Amino acid sequence: MMLEFFQEMERSIESSIRESRGVASPRKRYTLEVARLGRRLYSGEGKMAWCGVVAPFDLLTAMGVTSCFVEFVGAMVASTGAAGAFIETADQAGFSSDACSFHRSVLGAAMQNTMPVPDLLIGTSNPCSGGLAVIENLARHFSRPLTLLHIPQDQSGGNVAYLADQLRGLARFVTDHTGQPLDPERLRQAIANTNRVHAVGSEVYALARHCPSPATSKDLANFGIVMALFLGSDGSVEVAEAYRDAFRERIAAGKGGIPGEKVRLLWIQNRIQFRHPLEKMLEELYGAAIVIDELNDFNWDPIDPDEPFEGMAKRAIAIPFNGTIETRVEHLKKLARQYRVHGAVNPCNWGCRQGTGARGLIEAGLGSIGVPVLNLEVDCVDDRKFTEGQLRTRLEAFLEMLDGRPSPWQ
Amino acid sequence: MERPDGPLIGFACAYTPLAVVSAAGFTPYRVHPLTEEPDRTGRILHDNICPHVKRILDRLLGGDLPSLAGMVFMNSCDAMRRLYDAWRAVPASAPAVLIDLPISADGLSVRFFAGELERLSRTLAGWGGRTFDPAELGRQIDRYNVQTGLIKALAERVAAGTLADGPARLQAAFNRAATAPVDETTASLRKLLAEETVSDPGGVPLYLFGNVLPDPEAFRLFAACGARVMASDLCTAGRLFQPLDAGSGRERLLDLAAALLGRRPCARSFDPGRPGGIADDVLAEARAAGCRGVICHTVKFCDPYLARLTAIRGTLQEAGMPFLVLEGDCTLRSIGQQRTRIEAFVEMLQ
Repeated sequence: MMLEFFQEMERSIESSIRESRGVASPRKRYTLEVARLGRRLYSGEGKMAWCGVVAPFDLLTAMGVTSCFVEFVGAMVASTGAAGAFIETADQAGFSSDACSFHRSVLGAAMQNTMPVPDLLIGTSNPCSGGLAVIENLARHFSRPLTLLHIPQDQSGGNVAYLADQLRGLARFVTDHTGQPLDPERLRQAIANTNRVHAVGSEVYALARHCPSPATSKDLANFGIVMALFLGSDGSVEVAEAYRDAFRERIAAGKGGIPGEKVRLLWIQNRIQFRHPLEKMLEELYGAAIVIDELNDFNWDPIDPDEPFEGMAKRAIAIPFNGTIETRVEHLKKLARQYRVHGAVNPCNWGCRQGTGARGLIEAGLGSIGVPVLNLEVDCVDDRKFTEGQLRTRLEAFLEMLDGRPSPWQ
Repeated sequence: MERPDGPLIGFACAYTPLAVVSAAGFTPYRVHPLTEEPDRTGRILHDNICPHVKRILDRLLGGDLPSLAGMVFMNSCDAMRRLYDAWRAVPASAPAVLIDLPISADGLSVRFFAGELERLSRTLAGWGGRTFDPAELGRQIDRYNVQTGLIKALAERVAAGTLADGPARLQAAFNRAATAPVDETTASLRKLLAEETVSDPGGVPLYLFGNVLPDPEAFRLFAACGARVMASDLCTAGRLFQPLDAGSGRERLLDLAAALLGRRPCARSFDPGRPGGIADDVLAEARAAGCRGVICHTVKFCDPYLARLTAIRGTLQEAGMPFLVLEGDCTLRSIGQQRTRIEAFVEMLQ
């Protein structure tokens, strides 16, 4: 089912780009890369790994392993409207309905034999306990080899060296189970692509800060987190360049992502992954654009090609969900300032302890620089729990409140 | 609250290296989630955080804690990390440290964890404790091992049914051992062990595992339902008190790290070579203790346990071992509401 879905998606986007003589929106090019990744994952060709969120995807690309964090599958099945059935399967098997629905949908999909059997699995202790547990469950379910990466909380002391050593061990583990040794030249090329994405992507984000923003609310949805999956590939560079060129053109033409931008919003953590009308409502009725998502940023420096494992280690540690809440709040405050947002929306995904756990501290942190936060009770994957009317009312009240107060940046 | 073994250092996780805390001249004090304070954590933490964490925070917010020289958090799960964040956001709370905890016990992890134990020692010295002395750590490990031996002997008496009101008093002993100086606990354990033997009260032999269940009354409830807890693995019970290899000399922290990571784990830790191994371990321990059924008690919203229950249920089912899951919120009220289910489970096994 998923293979056909991704194949059809890939075919139709390629055909559409051909028909328009190579002209395509950056979002279309991004979606094409998503489709290609999905097709590779589900095709059964080549080696494949299910991973935790901060696995080094460029290293795995260099070693010829198609890899993906499992939450991506949760998001994809949500976008197709199929998550409910998978979640129900997981729930009936005994998984708690209080657990994260990204993870339950993945477990349900595995139980329904709609997750491809991986060659290996890589668990990461960050960002969450639930994510690590789902990888362990999948390793048991598929009876496939599993290795773990323990991500330290910060880069102090010997933490970077510790994780770099684990990454070297990971490369050996991959070789042991795929027969594919790590080719230093291929790794160097992958790192070059990663650094190119860092450079071009940084420009994309700088352009997105423009007032009005060249980005629509949808343009950069899931961008930062999903781009991590493409790292090391040529496709990742093409996607980043497509965004940069499109945003440059829009700014040069004086075009904002949405007409008459009035309100700039920061979206915390993840978007709601299934189809819903709320973002459109925000844009059309209130001139409110989501100009920045929490994970649309580079919290890491370009990787030194002579010390790739240390660079990848620093990158994994630097994800804002890692470490103490102060790190995360400071990052959110930085984004709020850079993008001159008027307010922030925190969709508190039910079941997400790490992300929504300390929401009061996030609210207080952003509040200290004059940015109010709207906490929504929502399940970002399970559309059966979507309460559109309640969410609409709360968003409308929030927008009306923002309308009645001065911008924090005046 | 002044103690003969020094000021109190709070902790909340069974991975806390008690001997390191004691070696610095402090008394480890487990902050149990037992309080009459109202639930006020919602302004800081989301409601979907586990009640263990929320009740500890309630104790802090309500002033329901003894004077602490510091608080040691282990980075065992998302909820505990968020508690560390919340703790520091409460004005005038005791200073806190978060000690990182690897997932497994491989060589790299052990070395890393030894470094974290060293950092803990430095932090404790900064809170007014003694500077790290490997010999003192060795002495403290020896003291804890003596205490652990006594606890094991007491647990065996309880399993044999020869101690009056055994299960509840064993839990009370665990609680005391987690909050009082070692010598004080050791003396009380010896006293308990010296008590006269009573006749076996009977009951259906069961294995109990899970996370936080510190209230002795909960164990009286199990007994009143006809259950006899023959063996258990709870983070508020025996998991904190397992024998440690004291090691020797300069490598003592490394040995301690290996011992702590290598002992019977919480669901959050596992061997990647044996994914879901907790299911096999539960079955093996239940069988070894001669149990006819297994009860899991977990606090609500505990991801590490909730995520592994399906595998555990599958393994137990395959082996024909009946299994009951109880979810609670650290109050006796929540376990009391499960009385009918416990009784029905026991009756089914009789």
